[in-house]
Amino acid sequence: MEGYNFAYLDEQTKRMIRRAILKAVAIPGHQIPFASREMPLPSGWGTGGIQVTAAILGPDDVLKVIDQGADDTTNAVSIRGFFARTAGAATTTRTQEASIIQTRHRIPETKLQAGQIIVYQVPMPEPLYRLEPSRATAARMHAIADYGAMHVKLYEEITRFGRVALSYDYPVMANERYLMSPSPIPAFDNPKLDMSPALQLFGAGREKRIYALPPFTRVRSLDFEDHPFHPGRANAVCALCGAEDSYLDEIVADDQGAKMFVCSDTDYCDTRRGETR
Amino acid sequence: MTLLQAQNLHKRFGSLEALDGVSLSLRRHEILAIVGESGSGKSTLLNVLAGRASADEGDVYYDRGTGLAPLSVLGELELRRLQRARWGFIQQDPRQALRLSITAGGNIGERLMASGARHYGDIRRTAAHWLEAVEIDPARLDDLPRNFSGGMLQRLQIAATLVTGPELVFMDEPTGGLDVSVQARILDLIRGLVRRLGLAAVLVTHDIGVARLLADRLVVMRRGRIVESGLTDQVLDDPHHEYTQLLVSSVLPT
Repeated sequence: MEGYNFAYLDEQTKRMIRRAILKAVAIPGHQIPFASREMPLPSGWGTGGIQVTAAILGPDDVLKVIDQGADDTTNAVSIRGFFARTAGAATTTRTQEASIIQTRHRIPETKLQAGQIIVYQVPMPEPLYRLEPSRATAARMHAIADYGAMHVKLYEEITRFGRVALSYDYPVMANERYLMSPSPIPAFDNPKLDMSPALQLFGAGREKRIYALPPFTRVRSLDFEDHPFHPGRANAVCALCGAEDSYLDEIVADDQGAKMFVCSDTDYCDTRRGETR
Repeated sequence: MTLLQAQNLHKRFGSLEALDGVSLSLRRHEILAIVGESGSGKSTLLNVLAGRASADEGDVYYDRGTGLAPLSVLGELELRRLQRARWGFIQQDPRQALRLSITAGGNIGERLMASGARHYGDIRRTAAHWLEAVEIDPARLDDLPRNFSGGMLQRLQIAATLVTGPELVFMDEPTGGLDVSVQARILDLIRGLVRRLGLAAVLVTHDIGVARLLADRLVVMRRGRIVESGLTDQVLDDPHHEYTQLLVSSVLPT
């Protein structure tokens, strides 16, 4: 595209972001500060993810963008269109065909492969955010792995609700060292973080942080011995494809308030329906 | 056997000598009271001994089972572990030490979980046991501390501090903010627990009565220096330094 550098960001900025990514990959789960740029979309809409994607995107890459699992929502369509215009990148909605997947709040149902990169949009990278108001103190807590406060939070959840009632952004330990926010993916997706063959990058634009999970990193959801981690899922099957193993969205179907459950991952649902059709 | 030792501590706040060459030692299972008027440096001394503040000169030595070693060689991580598991710190205002928005059980469990406890049922049982030990109804395990009275809050802080079985407890005016009738019961509770658990303790107070009730030994501070030290009864019954004489004589007769 005329007047823009390849993939929108200038090369110096991309190098700066790549350096942050390299550091992040070297220390799984540790948050690396970076000089986040203004992007042509509001913060909170994926400015972190879009900068990470811009920094790693090459001419041969195939890009997939999902928003809550769907390829056809405004945010996903816009970001895909953005890179198609500014980088001439090939795009796809098929999980297997993509070399880079930028995602907001989901991990695709289809297992990721070695060589693929998944980029998460992260609103709040600091898992201790609501427990410790001072970022300086939180950084010290990370430095000496002082995570008792997070377990107190889980203790309180069990005491009040009988179970840990966090259904998304469920805290994990990366490589048994750093407490990490998995971004607001459903707890259902947490097991997919563990030992994934794909490289996982997390970008928080407003908070100016990048962190990462290199392939085959051990990722453990926090729990108690007598209250093990339980990935939640609606007790239903997809009304469109009949999947019993996918994460479901509840959709209001008509003005009478009838509801149906469908796969949140549109590509997974389409693929299954194509096969059974 | 010496558990904690301070050697020639100096600390300056601007031109003020808060600590001016303080040395003392504490044996296992011993309770040492630091008395003095406000501004005499006793709280500063307590904070330096507990590793919460650093001295400008001198060092604090602690025996972790392998002989006395200076605290200054410990990293932040090791110091924090020591403070979390083997030491306790009881503040005058329990609201500063406790989290008022989480339950009593969560407050007691925090130190356990920070030390690696990961069994919900065990943590709850231990917390309930400690509530009983400080004379709070275990049925209040799931209540928020903000609904507790001042005396109950102080008891809760004591339970939350002692739950990890520390060997050394620092106390900063533990009964300072309480009314007189509650003071007596808390002092009674502390005395019972400290003796039963065989704790060593450093106790800061301006109340001679508290020192006489709890402490084995006593140091009197004035203007950042220790002016007199010895067995509690000996110092209080036969004060040598004129400032100690003033302190003892200023207690109202009962």
